[in-house]
Amino acid sequence: MSTLLQDIEAQISGIKAGVTKQNIGTVREIGDGVARVEGLSDAMLNEMLDFGNGVIGLALNLEETDVGAIILGDYTGISEGQQVRTTGKLLQVPVGKALLGRVVNALGQPLDGKGPVNSETFYPVEKIAPGIIKRKPVNQPVQTGIMAVDAMIPIGRGQRELIIGDRSTGKTTIGIDTIISQARLNRAAEAAKNTEYRPLYCIYVAIGQKQSNVARVMAVLEEAGAMPYTIIVSASASDSATNQYLAPFAGCAMGEWFMDNAMDALIIYDDLSKHAVAYRQVSLVLRRPSGREAYPGDVFYLHSRLLERSARLNEKYGNGSLTGLPIIETQAGDVSAYIPTNVISITDGQIYLETDLFYQGIRPAISVGLSVSRVGSAAQIKAMKQVAGRVKLDLAQFRELAAFAQFGSDLDAKTQAQLERGKRIVEVFKQPQYNPMAVETQVAALWTVQNGFMDDVAVDKIKDFQSKLSDYLASRKSALMEKIRNEKALSEQLTADLKAAVVEFKQTYR
Amino acid sequence: MRISKQARREARELFRSCLADAVLDENRVRQAVQLVSRDKPRGYLAVLVQFQRLIRLETARRAARVESAAPLPPDYRSQLQAELTRKYGAGLSFVFADNAALLAGLRIQVGGDVYEGSVQGRLAALQERF
Repeated sequence: MSTLLQDIEAQISGIKAGVTKQNIGTVREIGDGVARVEGLSDAMLNEMLDFGNGVIGLALNLEETDVGAIILGDYTGISEGQQVRTTGKLLQVPVGKALLGRVVNALGQPLDGKGPVNSETFYPVEKIAPGIIKRKPVNQPVQTGIMAVDAMIPIGRGQRELIIGDRSTGKTTIGIDTIISQARLNRAAEAAKNTEYRPLYCIYVAIGQKQSNVARVMAVLEEAGAMPYTIIVSASASDSATNQYLAPFAGCAMGEWFMDNAMDALIIYDDLSKHAVAYRQVSLVLRRPSGREAYPGDVFYLHSRLLERSARLNEKYGNGSLTGLPIIETQAGDVSAYIPTNVISITDGQIYLETDLFYQGIRPAISVGLSVSRVGSAAQIKAMKQVAGRVKLDLAQFRELAAFAQFGSDLDAKTQAQLERGKRIVEVFKQPQYNPMAVETQVAALWTVQNGFMDDVAVDKIKDFQSKLSDYLASRKSALMEKIRNEKALSEQLTADLKAAVVEFKQTYR
Repeated sequence: MRISKQARREARELFRSCLADAVLDENRVRQAVQLVSRDKPRGYLAVLVQFQRLIRLETARRAARVESAAPLPPDYRSQLQAELTRKYGAGLSFVFADNAALLAGLRIQVGGDVYEGSVQGRLAALQERF
């Protein structure tokens, strides 16, 4: 009883006895989740507006006589003439470790039925990206666990790497594999009590996705044990365009908290094509002038300000990082469309997935020629650089030769050898989904194929050979693998040991 | 009625021409409306509709409504008027109203700004807080 009285007293003491000043306006128009409000003379851009009954709006257009606001939530209860108040607050979302393992909406409210999010820290949804003084170059790797990516298109912590491709080419899978890989690495470091390892927390932002897809992603992550290190922000296809527009910014704010608190985070925006479409809808309803393909003029700025918030901070500012993996869906492989070219020019490289490769069974269907990582090679570990330095060139030559060889049957021995090696490298890079590989396993497999130890294995047996070799190394040569993992470089001694191990394995392989 | 950009621009120009020292001059407004109605320039109806809206918004912006639970003494009223004129500039139109529902205190609204100093307002804030 006494605590109840104390609670009431605390509530009463919180009330200011003085005169309060409020700025109010009236709704002139409402429809399609957008309201026009007259009389809000003090409204700020991106300020939250109180429409009463718990309905919140966001002031997006400040015009001469009225304010254009998007409604977050149910707008059907709002009517013309209704009073609207400014709140003096910018839109903010809960952030912090309490969100890990949770599925939330664009406002940070839980969607997973696991109770309220116990977070006391809030971050504004829109924030200016860190400036050049705060930043430092990318030099730590993000091990995606996908051999083709880690070897040829390495990603560093703080980088923005675009994943681009047609529908059903495995774009989301690359993101999910990366999350699973991070969870495995985080867990392994926790188990080994390795304090030097910086865990990488992941945020998956689903924009305009089917609810079934989001549920599937969640199930995969739960099954892989990755949810404790992951936040899912969902603005599904049935959510309003305003929520879809805000979701990536909300996810980014959650990621920034990790970066500002000297931790590393990775954010996947799945996908920014639908985000641009949602923003186009909001802009058109707000009667903003439209430009190419009816997108508003600031659609480039929309994505550049979002992706610019991914950064690697220097030691003075905590040494944290936020890595961005935006996804773009192309139509019929057209990378020169408006939104894909915008995002390609903003990001630090792209992983391009091809439908043809996908249906040829080359999965992940990464097009080596069109994929590039502009800053990630600085973050690649030395061992990987040693074994994968020439792979991209070898594969490019193989593709050229393979196209050429279709027209003639007589090939010299060198060309024949190059073709055979290329076929084996392609096989080695094939990898099933949701099955990321440890970096030392990748190094061993690449070293083996690059040094000709797979040349006498039939192409259709390569995957079998590779998986048995991996098992053999993991079970019988674990000390050697641990050394590669810890030393992060192939010394002469390690190379000799690896060679001996591979020769020994080949004697037993059938 | 659909109001074109041209009509909006013309209405805005008309509205500006009706301001004298940043205060709306009623005579000028009447004259402007009479002139436009007489000359009937292209799209005059849309211009007048938009002009009317601008006048309505400006009038609402410059309207000061003072509500009190009990009638205010004249010297207190004049003191309030002076204070509000000092804060918002000249040209405010004052309305003093008695509203017993406020229980005690004052509620002043100038345009979109509301100064809530009534007991009813505080009770409402308390209710919201609970």
